[in-house]
Amino acid sequence: MNGASETYGGKYDEIVDGITSRGTGTSAGATGETGGPVPPGFRVGRWEVTAPIADGGWGRVYEGRDTRTEATGEVADGDTGDARRVALKFLATSGLAPRQAERLAETVRREIDFGSRATHPRLMRLLDSVVLGDTGVPGLDGAVVLVMERAECSLQDLLDASNGGPLPDAGRLLTEVCEGLAHLHGLGWVHGDLKPDNVLIMADGSVRLSDFGLTVELEGTRGTHGYIPPLGSPDYLPPERWRAPLDERGVRVRPSADVWALGVMIHQVFTGGASPFPGATSTARASAVQEYAEGRAPLRLHVMLPEFWRALAADCLLPAHTERAAHTGESLLARVRAADAHTDGPPTTGGRARGRAAVLAAGAALALLGVGVGVGVGGAAWWQGGGGGSGDDPRTSPVAKLRVYNADAKCRDRADRHPLCGLGLAIDPARPYVLDNVVATRVWHGDVLTVECGLEHGVPITDEVGFRSSRWYRVRLPTTADKDKGTDTSMDTDSGTVRATAWLPDVRTRSRPGVPACTTA
Amino acid sequence: MSGILIHLPSERRTEPAMTRRLGPGEAARFGRGSKVRPVELVLPDPAVSRLAGEIRVTEDHWQLSNFSTTHSYLVENPEGAGEYLRIPPRRSGAPIPFEFARVVLPTRGSTVSFQVFAPDHVYLDADDPGGSWGTRTLNAYSLDETATYFLVLVALCEPRLRDESAVSVPTTPQVVERLRGHPALTRLTARAVSSHIDYLAEQKLRVRGPQDRADAGGGARRTGKREIVVGVALRFGLVREEHLALLPPRTAPGLPLPDPARSGGHR
Repeated sequence: MNGASETYGGKYDEIVDGITSRGTGTSAGATGETGGPVPPGFRVGRWEVTAPIADGGWGRVYEGRDTRTEATGEVADGDTGDARRVALKFLATSGLAPRQAERLAETVRREIDFGSRATHPRLMRLLDSVVLGDTGVPGLDGAVVLVMERAECSLQDLLDASNGGPLPDAGRLLTEVCEGLAHLHGLGWVHGDLKPDNVLIMADGSVRLSDFGLTVELEGTRGTHGYIPPLGSPDYLPPERWRAPLDERGVRVRPSADVWALGVMIHQVFTGGASPFPGATSTARASAVQEYAEGRAPLRLHVMLPEFWRALAADCLLPAHTERAAHTGESLLARVRAADAHTDGPPTTGGRARGRAAVLAAGAALALLGVGVGVGVGGAAWWQGGGGGSGDDPRTSPVAKLRVYNADAKCRDRADRHPLCGLGLAIDPARPYVLDNVVATRVWHGDVLTVECGLEHGVPITDEVGFRSSRWYRVRLPTTADKDKGTDTSMDTDSGTVRATAWLPDVRTRSRPGVPACTTA
Repeated sequence: MSGILIHLPSERRTEPAMTRRLGPGEAARFGRGSKVRPVELVLPDPAVSRLAGEIRVTEDHWQLSNFSTTHSYLVENPEGAGEYLRIPPRRSGAPIPFEFARVVLPTRGSTVSFQVFAPDHVYLDADDPGGSWGTRTLNAYSLDETATYFLVLVALCEPRLRDESAVSVPTTPQVVERLRGHPALTRLTARAVSSHIDYLAEQKLRVRGPQDRADAGGGARRTGKREIVVGVALRFGLVREEHLALLPPRTAPGLPLPDPARSGGHR
């Protein structure tokens, strides 16, 4: 960390001078210039450009490699593989009007200021910053290059590819975002532009927060707020920002602005990128944010959100920043970690009220260790997302059982299989749990069923006492052979085919069967 | 997104005009009103029906419903050189695209009208047009560079942009004088310039400044406000060198003759 600050010692002045002195070019046609393409093999200090990655609003990003690492054959802190790959962010300064150059200089100053002072596994590391001299490449003279760790993709890329469904690793990704945010807030900084584009995913799948161009250190007598330029990404701005007063320092920004943005992102990772606020355009969504903040519209979170994350998102999206202030990066992370430790697995599978989670803590620990009831072989637990189709075949999967539980105490007391106490099994867990989606076979409290697999995100079901879960189990329909006193129907016929399995909602059992994830719903 | 502003003319000369703000999703009915059907915006003219129409804020604009079965309403753009929309009888929710609008209801003799301002209109960043707006990091304060208020703002910023003075900001009469040469602003009044500055300070930029302090007097308050508006506009690049080309050429006595740098911008 000390090494990092040495790297930037005195560099800021040099960079800002570089930008502003070179930025006084022609003002005509100056807008939108991001410099020409950088040829592969171009050297920036010890770094060499290998391939283009992306064009951003303020510059271009290239992949690069560390020539020094290759030359000496050293492998830097924990990195394995050949040369360390980096991302080179080129911020062209030629052709900028003086005031545009000032704006760029400020962005760079914030990036470097923050990058040199914060090092954390969840924050993108700024490895170096270089001001180019005369390069001979058009548009590159005087450009500032920020050298950063190379990410695989952004959270936005994952959302774009998610096809509307929850991200497979949603809980872990969000937990890691919370870790980064808690650290950043703990240091007394506000990110200022938190959004999926600025949450990067590394090659090992871990999360790094990046883009600290609007990141600011808190000031004020109690370190409550900072000031940033009036810039932002409309879909992630908290309601108060649309009315925030402006002066020459900029707009006031508080940690609660990051918390709001986190709330929007929580919703997005479970819904394939959909904002919690309705509207086809970001203008419509911004308007919906105001309607919600002024109390004219309720917060409508998507049913796909598991219970734990739903509650967390609702707290992050409290309308007033004063209410939101109760939820800091640290307190949110503490809740995520507590949920992680006490529920049946990381809160990605959530779907469980916290009260119930405590009751189930012991069983959950067992299930996490892969030695849950009835599990003979320790395969990949289905909530860990792996496993593929390995355990899905009932012929090869270990036989897991669950016991049906009826939330109605009166029904638990009687053993006569009264029709009013029978529980339905669904045909399709992704469709509403209503009469035409239920097989003819019913089950009663205490029945033991064979479980094939579990599904994490079906239709959420709330039972008679308020427990809620979106988890479902695919169970084999009881046959007469399974029972001593069977029901009259043991097989369902659906368009002529014999149905052998159906779906039991998680709220209808207290067993925690260790079963693989279903590959098909 | 802060909604729209509706300015109703006063019923009597002695009363000030009424201003009402509507937030996103809110609606207000207008008409003569009655005990049975009260309206939020009262237009006490016998020729106006009791329930004449409704205004609803939608996203960054607003919609006008005409409840009349016989009369069309007109929506004029006061800055649009005669640009207007006709809202036919029984039209429900016609979207109004003007930032400034004057709703005109037909009456016998003189007309009844009121103004609606929609300061939330969004403009794309000059540096980065196109693309999806929602996820880009953009300037949250967008200004219509063709509006009169923008010309007023450029005129206010001109001395500092030309490095003629680091401190002085033109006075309202100086702004009027500076803009008088503009073909569309030959009849610009000092009062209009003051309203444009107020609109910029309070609705568009929402500057924090002396007007928030109780001790500042009237004149000092307006001067302070003007300085903060200029400071903010320059600091955050809302007004840049290239915008000087929007101003009419400088012909005022006492100033040096125009040189080629004038129209092209600052060097």
